[in-house]
Amino acid sequence: MAGGIDVILQVLIWGLYAGCIYILLAIGLNLIFGVMKVVNFAHGELLMLGAYITFTFYALSGFNPYVLLAASVPTLILAGVIIERLCFRPILGTGKLNEIFISIGLIYIIQNAAALIWTDEWRIIHSPYEKITLSIFGVNMPLDYLIIIITTILILIVLYLFLRKTRLGKAMRATSQNRKGAMLMGINVERMDMLSFGIGAGLAGAAGTLWVVSGQVFNPYMGSIPAIKAFAIVIIGGLGSIPGAIIGGLIYGIAENFAIFTLGGAWKDAVSFIILILVLIIRPTGIFGESAE
Amino acid sequence: MKSLLDSPRNRMYAIIACLLMALVLPILFGLNLYILTVLILMVIFIIYASSWNFLTYTGQGSLGHAAFFGLGGYISAMVASASGISPYITMLVGGGAAALVGLFIGVICVRLKEWFLAMVTFGFAIIIQTLMVSQFAGVTGGWDGIAAPRLISSAVPNYLLVEYYSIVLIAALVVLLFWLILRSRIGLAFAAIRENETEARAAGIDPVRYRLFAFVVSAYFSGVAGALEIHHLGYITPEIFSVDISFWPIIYSISGGLGTLAGPIVGTIVITVLWDGLQTLGITYARFIIIGLLLVLIIIFLPKGLISLPDRIRKYLEGRQKTS
Repeated sequence: MAGGIDVILQVLIWGLYAGCIYILLAIGLNLIFGVMKVVNFAHGELLMLGAYITFTFYALSGFNPYVLLAASVPTLILAGVIIERLCFRPILGTGKLNEIFISIGLIYIIQNAAALIWTDEWRIIHSPYEKITLSIFGVNMPLDYLIIIITTILILIVLYLFLRKTRLGKAMRATSQNRKGAMLMGINVERMDMLSFGIGAGLAGAAGTLWVVSGQVFNPYMGSIPAIKAFAIVIIGGLGSIPGAIIGGLIYGIAENFAIFTLGGAWKDAVSFIILILVLIIRPTGIFGESAE
Repeated sequence: MKSLLDSPRNRMYAIIACLLMALVLPILFGLNLYILTVLILMVIFIIYASSWNFLTYTGQGSLGHAAFFGLGGYISAMVASASGISPYITMLVGGGAAALVGLFIGVICVRLKEWFLAMVTFGFAIIIQTLMVSQFAGVTGGWDGIAAPRLISSAVPNYLLVEYYSIVLIAALVVLLFWLILRSRIGLAFAAIRENETEARAAGIDPVRYRLFAFVVSAYFSGVAGALEIHHLGYITPEIFSVDISFWPIIYSISGGLGTLAGPIVGTIVITVLWDGLQTLGITYARFIIIGLLLVLIIIFLPKGLISLPDRIRKYLEGRQKTS
């Protein structure tokens, strides 16, 4: 392999970009888990919905696809709130297996509703900037990658400010730290459930838009692979930890791209599992996770 | 009022009635080939769903059993094609391969909390699929798959009927074996672990060992079921690792009733009838949506599954009688 600092930098940039989409998914998962202590296995399907909503609005309006974040995120927030209200709230606390299996029903419903609406063929849209490549320190970086990285950072900053500075965000963090305590302090924890699920779904919607914009193909069944990667990141970073999800996402994206670079593209999806197993053997609760309950 | 099936004698009569029904059913339908095929796949899925359900006795849940189903199928197909031995024997080898991989996954996962286990198994089947079509494409034929010898040569008269009876026999034996395990000390240990792990530990039960045992047994018979299916179909492709195949046993078991022997059987029969009924009505994608909705509704409103439905209805009627 022609090693060298520029090659490593190049792979790092690919990893950074790949990590961004996974980070958005993983943070959503962790936010929901933190507050509700539920893992939403249909999270990849929310990303898929985000992708299709972007696709539909793009086909209808022809706007710059990045602007369509303003369509996919609110739609998905609404979808998340509805899903939480109708499916997860009735079964919260009735047993972990129930909470796991209800997402399976959701996966079926969402995937096939999407297949009914948009048919199951693979689709792709093209970003207006897809031909522009920047050259930084001798490394090629498509403009889209740069925009995606910056967009993700902006979303993370907004999320950080929301969680740290607003009353609602503080209430959410309180609920995630101690549900009973939060309830005693007069926080409406059920509203927090709804909010966390909404925000988690909105982040998945943003990930869906970025997925589409970066020129990756999608169909109604594409959600499971990114979801698995998000799970790997959640396990690396620790269940429920948002900083863990960011660091885990970066580690994951970079590791994946180094694996593709050195082993070949066929390993792309298998890598997630190998990383997962390594982490689980070394530290079953994740690198940054708290010890098991 | 006690439930009709509470006495062991009644229960035995019910089981015998079901078995007789299973034997007579294809003849009632005049050996219709379509019905026979549906019945064969249904009984195979009863084995698969029962094996999956075996895991839930220890409080574990897997979202990736297609890995074992598919591995059992692939290994059995390869061994049978290479050696010419009857699929009825090679399926045991296929199950063994699935159990070995199950042991590997189990060793990593049994110490994990439910969420981690579900996340790892969710990805596992898809990762195996990726490996099968890329790294091992030379032996597995990639996406095209490979041919698998038939269970019984189509030269035999009424071969589908013979196949059906043999699979019913295997299913009955598997369920019997699960029943024997569950009524032994092992079954008690499972229940103890499921209800309260700390107390089980205090009572001298090693949860890791029993969970691992459940995982391996479950993987083994899922592998056998997978082998039966592909030897029935006559070919195998990596589609066998798809998320659907992982989810079917879950849907069957939940709709029937988790953690009971009858649950997966009832669930498989009801959902299969519903599924094929909807197909004859010409409904395709919407079928999945209907099944998904049904699953969500059952989890919310009937958490013990369809087998608890008669009791629920009776209680409801009794309640009405009292008020009137």
